[in-house]
Amino acid sequence: MKAYHLMSGLMVAGCALALPLPALAQVSLQDFNALKDVVQQLSEQVQNLQQTNVIREQTHEQDMQQIRQLQEKLAETQQIATNAEQKSIAAAQAQAQPPTREPIDEATVNHNFMMLGDAEFQYVKASGQHGGFALADFAPIFLYRGGDNILFEAGFDTILQNGQNSDGTHDSGSTTSFDLSFAQLDYVMNEYMTFCAGDLLLPLGTYSERSAGWLNKFPDDPLAVSLIPGSGVGVMLQGGIPLGDAGKLLNYQIYGVNGPSSSATNADPTSLDLGGNVGLKSDNTVANLHGGLTGGGRLGLFMPFKPHYDLELGLSGQSGEWDDAGTYLYTAGVLDWALHLGPNFQANGEYILTRYGSDQGFIDQQGWWGQVGYKLAGLNLELPAINNVELVGRYDNLHNAPGSNGLGANTGRYTAGLIYYFTNTLLFEGDYEFLHSNDPSQVDQLILQLSYGF
Amino acid sequence: MKMRKLILWGAAALVGACLSGSGLTPVQAQPSSKADSTLSPTNSVELTAQAPDTKPAVLQKQLTGAELYSIHCNRCHPERYPTERTAAQWKTIMLHMEVRANIPVDQSKLILQYLQENSGR
Repeated sequence: MKAYHLMSGLMVAGCALALPLPALAQVSLQDFNALKDVVQQLSEQVQNLQQTNVIREQTHEQDMQQIRQLQEKLAETQQIATNAEQKSIAAAQAQAQPPTREPIDEATVNHNFMMLGDAEFQYVKASGQHGGFALADFAPIFLYRGGDNILFEAGFDTILQNGQNSDGTHDSGSTTSFDLSFAQLDYVMNEYMTFCAGDLLLPLGTYSERSAGWLNKFPDDPLAVSLIPGSGVGVMLQGGIPLGDAGKLLNYQIYGVNGPSSSATNADPTSLDLGGNVGLKSDNTVANLHGGLTGGGRLGLFMPFKPHYDLELGLSGQSGEWDDAGTYLYTAGVLDWALHLGPNFQANGEYILTRYGSDQGFIDQQGWWGQVGYKLAGLNLELPAINNVELVGRYDNLHNAPGSNGLGANTGRYTAGLIYYFTNTLLFEGDYEFLHSNDPSQVDQLILQLSYGF
Repeated sequence: MKMRKLILWGAAALVGACLSGSGLTPVQAQPSSKADSTLSPTNSVELTAQAPDTKPAVLQKQLTGAELYSIHCNRCHPERYPTERTAAQWKTIMLHMEVRANIPVDQSKLILQYLQENSGR
């Protein structure tokens, strides 16, 4: 019953509300136009707002791009500042520490003193004699460089030997010989010329300049070099002139020295003295022992084909008075050669010819030597001991040399041996010499030598 | 007479060799660095040699200090390692060797530079 009354009330209320609806739906044209204008205005405002928004977005994007660019520039600036700071710190540290060594700058010191040289120790067993340790040789070379162009160099040879009486017999104790091998002042005048003065190593061939124990592949000298003087007191001009850009050189040396002399003042053939006449006489007066100087020189051609492959040829000679009266000349000529075929093969030698006048006529002497060396490292055997070995061989001879019985000795000598390199400057040499001579003092012998160059 | 012939023949040979000029094979080894140098037990520095592309180019090439070192030092003695001496010592030694081996000053300077740059201290 209650629900029935409720439904009836709702229906009456609905009818009451439905009756005025047709009156409310009626809108005047004026109102409609006004409403239309309002809508159009609103639409225009919306469009304006949209355009404004697009412009603002574009502006924002540009601003963001500028911000990014500024940030990048800021990062670069910070990096530069960081680098500058690091450099500044490094510079401060460098100032606080000792300067780093620069080799070239270090070498700008204007003088230097040095000692080079070599030392040898020998064992000799000559045929028919007792073997024994034969040589303790110390041969320093002193160098003093004054600036870039001046060098003073002097070489000495100190040898220990048995004591000896004046008649040649053995005396007690021992003596030490101390010889000046050379002493010269060198002045580099220009690119191609050097002036030398003093006790000069004479460029008669090349052996006298390359005979130090650790340079020579044999423990003793070739026989024929005894025919020529090793040094002389005087002056010399020398130099090397390049021939092209391939390393070829024309070497020249021209000198004037006191020259050889007579040990007996006369012109007896056996009195030729190649090593004397140094200018200072035994009575302390200064004079040449004869009237004229001796002149000489060498012309050499050095032809490298590539490193370690080269050929060198040289022709040298000297001539001058030798007896006190100045009557006779001593003349010498030397042809020298040297060949390298790779780092492991070397061959070289000299032909020496001399002639001097005497009271008994002209004396002609000659001799030559040739030697080869081959380092077994060239075989690439991968054996350390073998790779340190060099096999060497030499033939040399001498005709009409002063011997125990006077002039007339003819000697030929074959030498075979080896070199063992402990280091590049410490080497052991072992050689056996087979001699053929009419001089009975010349006999076969075994020589063992330890050489050190420093 | 024999000596006169010897001197004449020797002089003729030298003049002939000089006149041959660039007809001789030029040095062909390339500049060496420490890396391509091999020190053998017998103290020989083996430089790596490379054949040039063209012969005229080689003729124009200037020798480096390393090449000149290999060419000259081995003439008379086993080569000494650059590290054996200081830069100042090499300067004195090179002046000595310049005189002893008749090396032109320019070549001597290149060798010295090579030795100093690789010197011991």
